[in-house]
Amino acid sequence: MSSQNLTLVQAVRDGLKCELEHDDDVVVFGEDVGKNGGVFRATQGLYDEFGEDRVFDTPLAESGIVGTAIGMAAYGMKPVPEIQFSGFMYPAFDQIVSHAARLRTRSRGRFTVPMTLRAPYGGGIRAPEHHSESKEAIYTHEAGLKVVVPSTPYETKGLLAAAIRDPDPVVFLEPKLIYRAFREDVPEEPYTVELGEANVRREGTDVSVFTWGAMTRPTLEAADNLEGEIDVEVVDLRTLSPMDWDAITDSFKKTGRAVVVHEAPKTGGLGAEIAATIGEEALLYQEAPVKRVTGFDTPFPLYALEDYYMPEAARIEDGIRETVEY
Amino acid sequence: MVREFKLPDVGEGLTEAEIVSWLVEVGDTVSEDQPVAEVETDKAVVEVPAPVNGTVREIRAEEGEMVPVGEVIITFDVEGEPVEPMESDEPAESDDTEDEAGVESAVSAVDDADDEPAESGTATKGGRTFAAPSARRLARELDVDIEAVEGSGPGGRVTEQDVRAHAEHGEEEAETPDEDAEPAVKSATREVTDEPAEHEVTEAAGAGTPSVESADRDRTLAAPATRTLAEEEGVDIDAVPTDETRDGEAFVAPEQVREYAEAQRAAQAADAETVAEAVDEVEGTEADRVERRPYKGIRRTIGDAMERSKYTAPHVTHHEEVVVDDLVATRERLKATAEERGSRLTYTPFVVKAVVEALKEHPILNSQLDEENDEILVNHYYNIGIAVATEAGLMVPVVENADEKGLLAIADEVNELAGKARDRSITREEMQGGTFSITNFGAIGGEYATPIINYPETAILGLGSLEQRPVVEDSGASETPRTSGEAASGEVVAKHTLPLSLSIDHRVIDGADAARFVDTLADYLENPELLLL
Amino acid sequence: MVVGDISTGTEVLVIGAGPGGYVAAIRAAQLGLDTTLVERDAYGGVCLNRGCIPSKALITAADTAHGAAHAEEMGIHADPAVDMKGMQSWKEGVVDQLTGGVEKLCKANGVNLVEGTAEFAGEGRVRVAHGGEGQGSETIEYEHAIVATGSRPIQIPGFEFDGEHVLSSKDALDLDSVPEELVVVGAGYIGMELSTTYAKLGSDVTVVEMLDGALPSYENDVARVVRKRAEALGVEFHFGEGASEWEPHGEGVRVTTETDDGEEAAYTADKVLVAVGRTPVTDTLGLDAIGLEPDEDGFLATDEFGETDVENVYAVGDVAGEPMLAHKASAEGEVVAEHIAGEPVAMDFQAIPAAVFTDPEIGTVGMTEDEADEAGFDPVVGQMPMNASGRALTLAETDGFVRVVADEETGFLLGAQVVAPEASELVAELALAVEMGATLEDVGRTVHTHPTLSEAVMEAVKNAQGHAIHTLNR
Repeated sequence: MSSQNLTLVQAVRDGLKCELEHDDDVVVFGEDVGKNGGVFRATQGLYDEFGEDRVFDTPLAESGIVGTAIGMAAYGMKPVPEIQFSGFMYPAFDQIVSHAARLRTRSRGRFTVPMTLRAPYGGGIRAPEHHSESKEAIYTHEAGLKVVVPSTPYETKGLLAAAIRDPDPVVFLEPKLIYRAFREDVPEEPYTVELGEANVRREGTDVSVFTWGAMTRPTLEAADNLEGEIDVEVVDLRTLSPMDWDAITDSFKKTGRAVVVHEAPKTGGLGAEIAATIGEEALLYQEAPVKRVTGFDTPFPLYALEDYYMPEAARIEDGIRETVEY
Repeated sequence: MVREFKLPDVGEGLTEAEIVSWLVEVGDTVSEDQPVAEVETDKAVVEVPAPVNGTVREIRAEEGEMVPVGEVIITFDVEGEPVEPMESDEPAESDDTEDEAGVESAVSAVDDADDEPAESGTATKGGRTFAAPSARRLARELDVDIEAVEGSGPGGRVTEQDVRAHAEHGEEEAETPDEDAEPAVKSATREVTDEPAEHEVTEAAGAGTPSVESADRDRTLAAPATRTLAEEEGVDIDAVPTDETRDGEAFVAPEQVREYAEAQRAAQAADAETVAEAVDEVEGTEADRVERRPYKGIRRTIGDAMERSKYTAPHVTHHEEVVVDDLVATRERLKATAEERGSRLTYTPFVVKAVVEALKEHPILNSQLDEENDEILVNHYYNIGIAVATEAGLMVPVVENADEKGLLAIADEVNELAGKARDRSITREEMQGGTFSITNFGAIGGEYATPIINYPETAILGLGSLEQRPVVEDSGASETPRTSGEAASGEVVAKHTLPLSLSIDHRVIDGADAARFVDTLADYLENPELLLL
Repeated sequence: MVVGDISTGTEVLVIGAGPGGYVAAIRAAQLGLDTTLVERDAYGGVCLNRGCIPSKALITAADTAHGAAHAEEMGIHADPAVDMKGMQSWKEGVVDQLTGGVEKLCKANGVNLVEGTAEFAGEGRVRVAHGGEGQGSETIEYEHAIVATGSRPIQIPGFEFDGEHVLSSKDALDLDSVPEELVVVGAGYIGMELSTTYAKLGSDVTVVEMLDGALPSYENDVARVVRKRAEALGVEFHFGEGASEWEPHGEGVRVTTETDDGEEAAYTADKVLVAVGRTPVTDTLGLDAIGLEPDEDGFLATDEFGETDVENVYAVGDVAGEPMLAHKASAEGEVVAEHIAGEPVAMDFQAIPAAVFTDPEIGTVGMTEDEADEAGFDPVVGQMPMNASGRALTLAETDGFVRVVADEETGFLLGAQVVAPEASELVAELALAVEMGATLEDVGRTVHTHPTLSEAVMEAVKNAQGHAIHTLNR
């Protein structure tokens, strides 16, 4: 088994390549993904390798991109459309929630939508408006959609493959802050990482910290900083819908304390969902309120204030301490 | 050249002296015979002169230090001779800016660069280390200061073997990093903030009043409100007793917390009272009302033995009064003869002989319990212990093989052993090996008692005082109600009786055995001529 | 990138792909570290592109031309024509082959290559500005950084390099015609190498030096051999004179010099080469962003692992201090890479050899006799003149000698100075001896091939021991 040392975005590309090879029904399209290879190089070289029947550019029209994908998917293809930045998904929102999410129900299972909608998401890259959103909660709220957020190169390729092979629509949000932050060994051949399964990144007994995407890195850093003082368990949820509740409650029952870290704003964020469910499932084990370390309830700030908005290790450490000392 | 100067013999056969003060500093120029230090002998303060013209290079002793004669106290750079570089552990700075050829090496090993300079090392000199790169690397790997290694190569060159040998011979190892500081915060279910007050309270309550039941769990399930309640009430939720469970774990509800807290309070109140009383008592007692004696030595040994015996064997004591007029008469008759033969004849030898005969018929009383192997050892030899009261306490010397000895022999031995016990010359061996013991408290006074068995035996016979006591006589003159088996119908007369108290280990011997043994024993005591048979 | 700045993370960031940088990068990658190498000009740095390699190429060419023209004694009569353009083109070919080789090696070992100028932007961050069209700039986040930015020629006031009249060593190596007359300011190793080369190619060379002799950092007797040879080649030396100014003079230049006493002199030539030393490159790195300051000479101070005052930032090569030699840079590069990877290494080289490619060559390592004495040793010296070497005679090159310095008591070799043909190669054996802590006995007892120049090494060693065969013992 040979492997390559890839960054996260290279793993996206590799995953797409393997799936394009693995299944002729897979097509990749979006703005600048074809000849240009994608603004983040996520589709670099795929156009040359697979031709414009499999990998092609679209007009600047998100609604059309997603609508076309839904149509293709309903007729048996496996489209993997890209929305260039998750902040541009809104023009396609109606297509996503009214049709992609509903078609299976509406047709009583005759038609499904095996579409994987890829979009880079999240802040920290000094970009202008609309380029830093983290709105996964909107999509988890829509039954009929799956929402997946990888955090390491190995998982990215595997989760992407699993998403593409999944018979239902998957919103695949790629944490672009860490697109090139580090490399990892990624096998060359195709493989999948199961959707709906969280991953315990770090075991501990004092407190459970639930997080995903770009926030896994500062969370692990915070946990390392607290080594010797507090024994922190870090769980990377990976799939936000369906959420791996078993993993969450298993961890919580072990520690009795939880912190949720997400860069999305606090109100209505998934931290609330996790806190409520923990209360339902494991109230008796609870020693402290579930702490949410999140972005603030403001529009995502520009450049100069970005670093204050996003949770970083120090803020996460404070949240953990608060929870443990309650 | 470096000139070392050793502390000279300042006279009067002194072996060491104290450096009172230094009169020079490192770097000072000195001339020969110039005083450099003041040194104190036991008579006076003496000045010590410089041996050469030169500059002070190094001062090796401190003011106030006691230095042995002959030890180097100061070194000088002699005037007119080239100055040698100081041996140091710091990396030599390259002072060749333009000369590419003269790079001096940074010699120190990774850690421990500040350890004592290489006194024994041979590899380093003048800024060079004479060791192959592989040897230097090995030194770093093994955390050895290469400067301290003795080289076995030519010229003192250090080889890899030298480095290894040095590492193995317990040179100071690099400090291992300490274990991470103990986590200050405990894990999940415990109250994490320090609430020592509550803990102490509950524990004190628990200890002082066993009537309040406490639990001791690692985790407890409870609603957050219940946990808050527990905190408010000052109780540890893991200590609240409960029978309820949820999800397989102990579960506590608010009422249980309240009940427990109530009980704790009551217990504490009671406790507080007791403590207050005890405090009063103790405070009222002055030193002269209570005498403190040490509990140790022989007293303690006896105490330990008694404790062990009594708390191991279930003791049952069987009492019987034996009429011994005949025994008294027999002894009277024999007393004079015994005296002629140099023996003092008491009743004890008779009892010993009678006991031996009775043991022969009831061997179960001459036994030991081997708890380890679950076996009862029935002894077919007869070592009878005779308890002796001494100043130091009760001792039990043993008459060995009493069945083989005649009455007088036993009498002599008993007297001898008793004497030895009293004057503390008796040996441990003389008190070991018994199979049955007799204790004669009657010599002091008293009728019945509950003697403690002499571990590891299983029975002990206590003798009360032999004296005349009222006995109901049967119409048949010499028969006693016991032997005749008929109910007495006669008058009350005074007869010599000997009260017996036989304690047995009920694990091995039943009451019936004891009764039968005593019956047999009584036969012999009442009719001593049976001993002739 | 279209919008936004996504940082690239890396474990080891090497700034500068010269002999220090590319070696460090390749070693780090070999040890499994995620390594990124940033270079703003050409792989191989000054050494491959403008220094060691091109100069040795030209020296060899000049030697060949000169040698052929002066071999009558051997019965060879020739008058070679020198085509500088052709020579330059050959030289470029050599350089290209080597720099291409460095690039290939880096890629083959998995080093990520980035082209651009790097500047520190804060703790753990470097900003790389990509030159010219393309991607603008990017941010690289590193765990360890190795500064290997090298050095540049010192420019004396009034003599700004213009490549036309006032040449730096780089310019001097790029000339496509041999200047008729050449003034060389500076008689250090670069000045001497280039004077000798151009003298052999036919230039009329005048060397002006502020100090009292040529090659001031070498012992007098060593420098004398080289100077005499240069004089024999027609090089004119003027010591004690410092270049003060120049002015155009016809097509060429007129250089004015001044002595300490104020005496002036003037020399005319086609061009003037200024080779008075090199200074470390630290001013373009944005070092204040990480709070690092070079010392008064411009070097970055480092400890035995190559680490600077700033944690996780290392420096190797010319930028880290003397000696400013390529092989020292490479050796440091390896140590730093291995140290970062956790190996028990340190900079504990016992000696770093040096070579000057004059005629004859000079090769030195370790201590001179005086240095050994100062260091507290009792030195014993052994020497072998090249005119007693059979091989030297067959090469018709008999100037020079081999000298070794050892500790009398222990016999350890402390240093050596070789002035001889192939001195740059001969010194390798002696460097090994010094590094290993070998004794005179060790080297003297090693059988050296006959007939070679290396025998002179053995003889010099035996001379120190007092039992040399082919030369009289002291």
